[in-house]
Amino acid sequence: MKTSDDKHRLSRRAFLKTSAGAVAASGIAWPQKAQARGAGNLATLIDLSLCNGCPGLEVPACVAACKEINRDRIPPVADPIPVPWPRKTVEDWSRRRDVSDRLTPYNYLYVHRAEIDVDGAPETVFVPRRCMHCDNPACATICPFSANHKHDNGAVVIDQDLCFGGAKCKAVCPWEIPQRQSGVGIYLHILPDLMGNGVMYKCDLCHDRLGRGQSPGCMEACPQKAMLIGPRDGMLAEAERRAQQIKGFLYGKDENGGTSTFYVSPVSFDRINATMKKGPGRPDMKPGVERQMAGTDSLGKAVLAAPAVGIVAGAAGALKWLSDRKARVEKDGEKDV
Amino acid sequence: MSDRVVRERNLVVRHSVVELAEHWAVALSGLALLVSGMFQLPMGSRYYINSVPGLAWSADFMVSLNVHYAASMVFVAASLFHVVYHGLRGERGMIPRRGDLKTSIEVMKSFLGKGKEPPFHKYLPEQRLAYIGMAVIIAMLIVSGLVKTYKNLYAPDLSYTVVLWATWVHNVGFVLFILAFAAHIGAIVLKPNRPMLRGILTGAVRLDYAEHRHPLWIGEIEGAKPEVKAEPPETAPDRAADREEAPAAVEAAGEVPAGSQDAGGKSAAVPQEPDEAEPGCAKPRGESPPQG
Repeated sequence: MKTSDDKHRLSRRAFLKTSAGAVAASGIAWPQKAQARGAGNLATLIDLSLCNGCPGLEVPACVAACKEINRDRIPPVADPIPVPWPRKTVEDWSRRRDVSDRLTPYNYLYVHRAEIDVDGAPETVFVPRRCMHCDNPACATICPFSANHKHDNGAVVIDQDLCFGGAKCKAVCPWEIPQRQSGVGIYLHILPDLMGNGVMYKCDLCHDRLGRGQSPGCMEACPQKAMLIGPRDGMLAEAERRAQQIKGFLYGKDENGGTSTFYVSPVSFDRINATMKKGPGRPDMKPGVERQMAGTDSLGKAVLAAPAVGIVAGAAGALKWLSDRKARVEKDGEKDV
Repeated sequence: MSDRVVRERNLVVRHSVVELAEHWAVALSGLALLVSGMFQLPMGSRYYINSVPGLAWSADFMVSLNVHYAASMVFVAASLFHVVYHGLRGERGMIPRRGDLKTSIEVMKSFLGKGKEPPFHKYLPEQRLAYIGMAVIIAMLIVSGLVKTYKNLYAPDLSYTVVLWATWVHNVGFVLFILAFAAHIGAIVLKPNRPMLRGILTGAVRLDYAEHRHPLWIGEIEGAKPEVKAEPPETAPDRAADREEAPAAVEAAGEVPAGSQDAGGKSAAVPQEPDEAEPGCAKPRGESPPQG
């Protein structure tokens, strides 16, 4: 007997295959130039019922395309890499550039293979993992140098020329996505032993390609068309429609306060998450994960109100003083008369 | 203005309670902002500051951001209160005047033993210049900080140009604020300035010091209004408003250190000679360590 997660899986697959053409024709599947250039936030949809992990390929096509596009992104690494003081953490992936089964500074996308037991029947779900490009990304807003920023097309992009590699973005990301390469970046030119420790790297949604009207490399390379990109509202509607159609599940709509990546899955994300052991470069997929910075919003709003409080209090105090002085002058005048 | 001479206690009231509250609100919240801002860099874990008992939170960016926000509320409100309150009252004593730059160089030379200090108003010319410098730095920090806060809450995709400007104005302001803070503390450590420390702690400075170093100020006070006795009659309604603003410390019995009363008496009776200004003003008669 199938659980409610899985019983519609086959019919859904068939439906999606037939509807893929219609979706593409509607303009959702492929970013037109107008959509990519300043036409508001874009979002992506990852359909786990379509991803098959690229059987027969040593590295899934999306991962290989991503690696190829970003092959020369990281400049030559200092040799030797300065050892920071006093905490002597050095993270060097420059000799392990080929690693493709986890996130590294040289690998911004990997495919997790989830073996799930559905009522005694083994099911395999492939889950491409990368930056979710959150709606209010703490990794970007809390960066002390604003090296990380959410652009108006929705992409969250780290500028490697501004990043000091403090890894604060990684600490505040619920999935710890950004990965550090030590020995590169601006810190080498300032105080490498005392300040900074490299540059953080992650998926930038192929920001440059979007600017040229192209879609992200992973999506272009996917033989299954399991990943889509388009205007956020349209993508969300499509994701919800697909999830509803198969009585499936959605991930990324509300997680971390909302993201620009919507996973649709016939299997619940609790089950998928249970197959993931969170570790370095390998995020989990806990449903409903909360936005850490939500705990600072109240005081932030109070800060924005503080100027008005100061101005009103200052004006009230001064006006009282002026009023008292006027009363004194009038009283003195009466005495003089 | 609550400035007045209390000759019997050898004191001159220099700051009202409101002014003391403004100063310490900005100073203490500014210190909290400096520390929590450093933890945002990030420094807590890198430098093992989070290993220090009581400072484990230094590596928790959400806690240090909340501390930063809480201190900002005080810092921003107090700074704007200051501008509006004193602006509307027409108090301009700390606005630089013509010739302040030149005079302040002379004053700094006198600290090194070259030449004599000129007679001062309530504030030294370099205090007026430092005030404007600090005001500019604080304005930089507040405006850029508000933009960053707005971005954090409502607009993470705010124009990148605006975000970068706000970030770097804030970061440069942070460095300037540290330097200005150090210079401010350094200035009060200089021996001739030390008697003023008491002013910012209790609201009043020694009269003999003020007559010696700030004769133009004392002249302004005494020319403007009659001297106030140590215990003015309770039935003086026309002084009530000013008295409300005077620091309670001046009114408190025993606030004046032992020996000051005598010194005050002498000070009042014997006119100060300019020659005593250096180094006499640093060690005037009846000297006692600065309060606080």
